Amino acid sequence: MIMLLTGMLATAVLAGGVLALAALGEVLAERVGVTNLGVEGLMALGAVTAVMTVSAVHSPWVGLLVAIMVGAIGGMVFAFGAVVMRANQVLCGLATTFMGLGLSTALGHSYAGQPVETTFGHVTIPLLSSIPVIGPALFGQNILIIPIYVLLPLAVHFIMFRTRHGLNMRAVGENPAAADAAGIPVMAMRFWYVTLGGAMAGMAGGYLTLTYVPVWSEGMVAGRGWIALALVIFAGYRPVIVTLSALLFGLVTALSFVGQAHNWPIDPAFLNMLPYVGTMAFIIVPVVVWHRMRRVMAAPAALAQPYYRDVR
Amino acid sequence: MATRAFQRLPTAPAGRILALRLVAIVVSLCIIAGVLALSGHSPVMLAELILRSTLGSRFGLEDLALFMCPLLLTGAAVTVCGTIGLWNIGAEGQFYAGAIAATGVALGLHGPVLVMLPLMTIAGILGGMAWITVPTLARAYAGVNEIITTLLLNFIASLLTYYLTTGPWRDRISGAQVSTRRLSVSIPEMWGIVHWGFPVAIVIVVGLALVLSRTRWGYEIRIGGANPEAARYAGIPVRLRIISVMLLSGGLAGLAGMFEVAGTVHRLQGGMANNFGYLGIVVAVLARGSCLNVIPAALLMALILDSGIVMQTQQLSASVILAITGLILFMIAIGDELAHYRPVATTPAKGKAS
Repeated sequence: MIMLLTGMLATAVLAGGVLALAALGEVLAERVGVTNLGVEGLMALGAVTAVMTVSAVHSPWVGLLVAIMVGAIGGMVFAFGAVVMRANQVLCGLATTFMGLGLSTALGHSYAGQPVETTFGHVTIPLLSSIPVIGPALFGQNILIIPIYVLLPLAVHFIMFRTRHGLNMRAVGENPAAADAAGIPVMAMRFWYVTLGGAMAGMAGGYLTLTYVPVWSEGMVAGRGWIALALVIFAGYRPVIVTLSALLFGLVTALSFVGQAHNWPIDPAFLNMLPYVGTMAFIIVPVVVWHRMRRVMAAPAALAQPYYRDVR
Repeated sequence: MATRAFQRLPTAPAGRILALRLVAIVVSLCIIAGVLALSGHSPVMLAELILRSTLGSRFGLEDLALFMCPLLLTGAAVTVCGTIGLWNIGAEGQFYAGAIAATGVALGLHGPVLVMLPLMTIAGILGGMAWITVPTLARAYAGVNEIITTLLLNFIASLLTYYLTTGPWRDRISGAQVSTRRLSVSIPEMWGIVHWGFPVAIVIVVGLALVLSRTRWGYEIRIGGANPEAARYAGIPVRLRIISVMLLSGGLAGLAGMFEVAGTVHRLQGGMANNFGYLGIVVAVLARGSCLNVIPAALLMALILDSGIVMQTQQLSASVILAITGLILFMIAIGDELAHYRPVATTPAKGKAS
């Protein structure tokens, strides 16, 4: 039983990391008032460029860095349309996803199906990793687990809720006209946070192919970008909660693996549906059950609304 | 001295939108040509080849009609939903659901074609409707964002198709992978390989345009989309309208799946939706909320898909088409926004402005 639990948690932490990174990036973008529906495409681009890089350079760090940079460039392209040109955010996001998925498949054509040889290896932190159940999951896997689950979310939380800059940032998402009047550069704020969110989506893709599923294949992102978007809504746009819900979501994924490994009498196709069914439940059930939560977990007031200074 | 500035209009004039969209498409084509040239293909030769084998050949034209048929319906599905201000990003899943339901009828029942085809049609429509039911109710009663719920169901539908075509419904005769056996019932062909689903799809789109513009229901939908508060104040049951519109949208996408199964592919296959659901979004965006515009928009999209076949013969991956579609969609989104701006001459204030 302990073995099973340890294994499940380890898989959950590993699988949830992809979602945690992408969702945290999306929290940044949505808090400044921009919905980036391009996450799925940026993740695919990050995943494939990481694979391409490590097959040439043999360093997972360089691979991850390239994935981050590619994500940032993709984020900038989206932000150019959605923030600078103020075009419809839904369309720009979908277009970014189409471009990302199409390009990544075209780029990864000759890499498809080949196992990635250079990945982030196992790092075992002494003492901490011998804690039963959670030790091996958090401290006995790869070096990125702690940054993803502890350092990044806490840093974002601190900046967002404990600094003046964070207050400005949230003001841009809640009421850009007031923020503008107070001298906050609305467009720059939106542009750079969307870019940062894109970089984190790219990183999530790189993390996916460099740790969790070390092989590139078409469609391997498999809706994780969309699940990340749903998690942001579920977590009420809060960085720490979004990370925890990514972990919870990793558990759902782990459950389907455990089911397949233990030959549960359920077809793998149905077990593979679990994450999607789970996400649906995640975003529908809380709203139905706790009506009062709706105000607490509400989206930033100016979400998905372009800001025009000159329109009265 | 007068300086030039730009003023944003609340609605863009249609002429300027058309002009800027042409610019957007030309810019996209230039970018694509540039990328192709850099990767060692000759864009001019490729363009000539594409034109010759799509519009210039009988097979190309037949393929064009076959691509248009599902795009007309998925495009109409997204357009109808957009009329009330909602995004149905799940046409892909509803397409599969319709295809699955129609296949279920074809595999499970036996009868004359005249009985089977209507039954399969009804099953397809109901399948698509069933697939959008949860997002519909969640949207209407709990205000849950329909973009994500409809989209997630695409993955579930795709997995369900995979399960059926490798499991209970797998082809036991020819052993084809991820496919059912060839269905015994099919929509009759009218011109080469083009089946009667194509004219039916056009009639449906035109009919929808009439319903939306000429009936009370259509009027209420449009008001509900333009200003939900005003609609509620005027006594329009917005919630019920949302439900009816979303179910209609799902039904249309399901019908597209049924046509594809019974008319074109003749079997249920994994991956048979071929992004038609997602491309329906592009068609709807191109159509700008008008059902009649869905016809030329679907034609343009079908042309792009058709040229994808040519590109595959030139060692270019078929996925390039998805990237190209994304690029065009991106440019058009920007073009549509720019169309809102009108240049105005402003004179600097001199104290006594008239």
